[in-house]
Amino acid sequence: MRLYVLRRLLVAVPSLLIASLIVFTLPRLIPGDVVQMMLQEKAYGKDLEDLRAKLGLNRPIPVQYIEWLAAVGHGDLGESLWTRQPVIAEMARRLPVTALLGVMALAVAILIGIPVGVVAAMRPDGLLDFVARGAAILGLSVPAFVTAILVTLLPAIWWGWTPRGRFVEFSSDPGAYLVQFLLPAVILGVASAAGIMRLTRGMLLEVLRQDYVRTAWAKGLRERIVVLKHGLKNALIPVMTVLGLQVAAIAGGAVIIEWIFGIPGMGQFLVDAIVQRDYPVIQGINLVIVTIVVVTNLTVDLVYAVLDPRIRY
Amino acid sequence: MESAPANHEFSRREALKVGGAALALGAAGLGLAPRPAEAQTPKKGGVLRLTFQADPLHFDPHQTISFVTMVPLSFVYSRLVKVKAGPSVKPMTYPIEPDLAESWSQQNDTTYVFKLKKGVRWHPKPPVNGRELTAADVKYTYDRFLTIAGNPNKPVLEYVDKIEAPDKYTVKFTLKEPNAWFLDLLASTSTWIIAKECVEKFGDLKKVESVVGTGPWMLERWEPNVRLVYVRNPNYFVPGLPYADGVDVLIDKDPASRLATWLAGKTDFGPEYQHAVRWLDAPVARQRKPGLQTAEYTWLTSGATGFKLANPPFNDVRFRRALARATNVGEVFESLAFSQGHWTPNPIVPAAFADWSIPIDQLGPEGRKLYEFSTAEAKKLLAEAGLPNGFKVTVEAAAAVYGPDFDDFVQITLKNWKAAGIEGDLKLKEYGAYISSTIFGKFDGMFLGLRGAWADPEAYFYRWYMPGQPLNVWGVNDAKLTDMMKLQRRTADVPKRKQIIYDIQRYVADQGLFGPDGSIRILSAWDAHIKNYMPNNGFDYGGRLMAAWIDK
Repeated sequence: MRLYVLRRLLVAVPSLLIASLIVFTLPRLIPGDVVQMMLQEKAYGKDLEDLRAKLGLNRPIPVQYIEWLAAVGHGDLGESLWTRQPVIAEMARRLPVTALLGVMALAVAILIGIPVGVVAAMRPDGLLDFVARGAAILGLSVPAFVTAILVTLLPAIWWGWTPRGRFVEFSSDPGAYLVQFLLPAVILGVASAAGIMRLTRGMLLEVLRQDYVRTAWAKGLRERIVVLKHGLKNALIPVMTVLGLQVAAIAGGAVIIEWIFGIPGMGQFLVDAIVQRDYPVIQGINLVIVTIVVVTNLTVDLVYAVLDPRIRY
Repeated sequence: MESAPANHEFSRREALKVGGAALALGAAGLGLAPRPAEAQTPKKGGVLRLTFQADPLHFDPHQTISFVTMVPLSFVYSRLVKVKAGPSVKPMTYPIEPDLAESWSQQNDTTYVFKLKKGVRWHPKPPVNGRELTAADVKYTYDRFLTIAGNPNKPVLEYVDKIEAPDKYTVKFTLKEPNAWFLDLLASTSTWIIAKECVEKFGDLKKVESVVGTGPWMLERWEPNVRLVYVRNPNYFVPGLPYADGVDVLIDKDPASRLATWLAGKTDFGPEYQHAVRWLDAPVARQRKPGLQTAEYTWLTSGATGFKLANPPFNDVRFRRALARATNVGEVFESLAFSQGHWTPNPIVPAAFADWSIPIDQLGPEGRKLYEFSTAEAKKLLAEAGLPNGFKVTVEAAAAVYGPDFDDFVQITLKNWKAAGIEGDLKLKEYGAYISSTIFGKFDGMFLGLRGAWADPEAYFYRWYMPGQPLNVWGVNDAKLTDMMKLQRRTADVPKRKQIIYDIQRYVADQGLFGPDGSIRILSAWDAHIKNYMPNNGFDYGGRLMAAWIDK
């Protein structure tokens, strides 16, 4: 097991290096660099070159890449070309916000998706199954941003009330800080829950038809034991894989949800950075995201062993 | 921005004289009702609450032209002269009044001397700590303005030769050549007076800590992507102002969310830029907000159609006229959620400059025709230009960034051109690529875009049509037009300059270089409890809100 983890971590290093090269290069391939964005339509020829030199963007790209990589190795992600603030400091303020939103959304997805999937699988083609599948189709069909806009706007038009308020910092009111994430997390989580529910239902139905489950029934075990202990544990392995992928999906969905609910997280930060061609910020955020995805997938692989004793590394 | 002739101002005294009926202001276009509250004694206190569409990129006014920085700075800084604000100023006019300057005089065509108000103090914040503002600060500001690399506002003052501070309260500007727009340009919102100590301590003015001014409010806190919090400047140099203790600017990028926040009573002003409410949302706003106050006026922003005169058939005035006759601006503004049929046609100087924009019916006969949509006439002109079978052209536009209203404008325009035989092959460009290539002339056929970033009327023709200007992508080099543009700049007499500018607009339209075009007549809205306020074009939110008070 320890050797497996070590091997996976070693594989992660070249993955991260390749990812770093991609996140460094791609933003520079987009037409229009940060200097042109800064000067916009009033740019004068000489100013462009002056500003490019001032920001260190006139040096060869390989040189810039190596310098950036060396700095990253020392824990320095550089500073924003627009605000001159360290990227790490900017991210430190925003990452916990998006992380909390993501964790809460994932919790909502799991707490809704898995139990409803189990209930639907236990009584296939029954009323509960029909309702659950219908709700899942609805959850998959309606984008989270549509739900978010409707939830924000309609109460304001009808009753002069909106769930949208000023963002509350944790330090000023911890309770209100957590509460303000509930609605966006539910909206974000419901879309993921629909997929998880359908997968859980499908996998559990398949497992419940296995011989060892029939044996468990024949032994006279209670339904709860058969379904949850013998069935669900095995059915959850592919669900775990999907949960790993949901992390990336929720991170993507968080961009628009943060936008609508005015949550100052990484999503808005990344969109702004791309629009402004703020290369160090784009690189920093993407590097962190890549690292999170690599670590999440490693964790998912390790959890397999817990769920299925047959899996050994 | 420019000084408005006195007879164009709509003073409170005049308002009282003409009474409520005349205040319908149909001719002037103001959707104002009489406001008895203006006669009340102003109340001090409270916090003005508004939403803003974007987070500041940074806080250095010499490193951006963007409204996302200039609007937040408008609450904090002062300049020598400013555009007058308040209920007495008719939107779309921009009269100049002193700000930090006590008075000024013009010694000759190229020399201006300003006397500063005495006892003006910087905000009591480090590193300036409330010291007195002097002429050295003004000189330092404009020296930095003109010499710092990458200041996109440089054209505002690039004709200034030198700035001197002969004594503590006197500033002397010497221009390289006469420029009749000098005072108007000096009132631009990029000309805030900054403190040397801030630049020296922070290296530049990008950090929020470096925002120390002499304006009515102090920036107490910036929560990125959340809000800007301002508190009253206890040492503000205008006695009694501002009335409000603070300003709370909620940063909200989502239009639906901004509207919901306002309808729910969490903010006091309309949710869009310049406190506008989309015409589509106006009925529900009026229903939810009894006593809602509104002003209807023309926005600065409008469309831009680009091509190169060197490329046939754009060198043929008949083709350019055909293009104009095939354009149906009315259909565009009828269809947009923002305008819903509320719009004004623009000549080259936008109609939002009420004192300088020529009414369309005063253009020459050929110029007037450009604004009369007619597919048949367009086809006829195309045939006369030797293109009886039509013409195909690539049309570049920025993708997505300007929003669905702009996308509709592009689609409707291309549809109508096609009906006349001009088939535009739309090539959407990502915004960064668009502003870094297309608007500098790197396009093959044509482009469709927006204009409206400049606060002075001259910029709209001078930067586009003066030979040598980087934005003259049309390649205009017309001796008559150049002479007129130079002459207006040298003409200090306002009525005479206005006539020259009217002639420029007639000539540009006659040559089919510009037109047809239009701007939305926006509906700015503010709640019943906000008194003594009037919106206008421009980034100076702080200047316009300074004298507003809250009747709660």
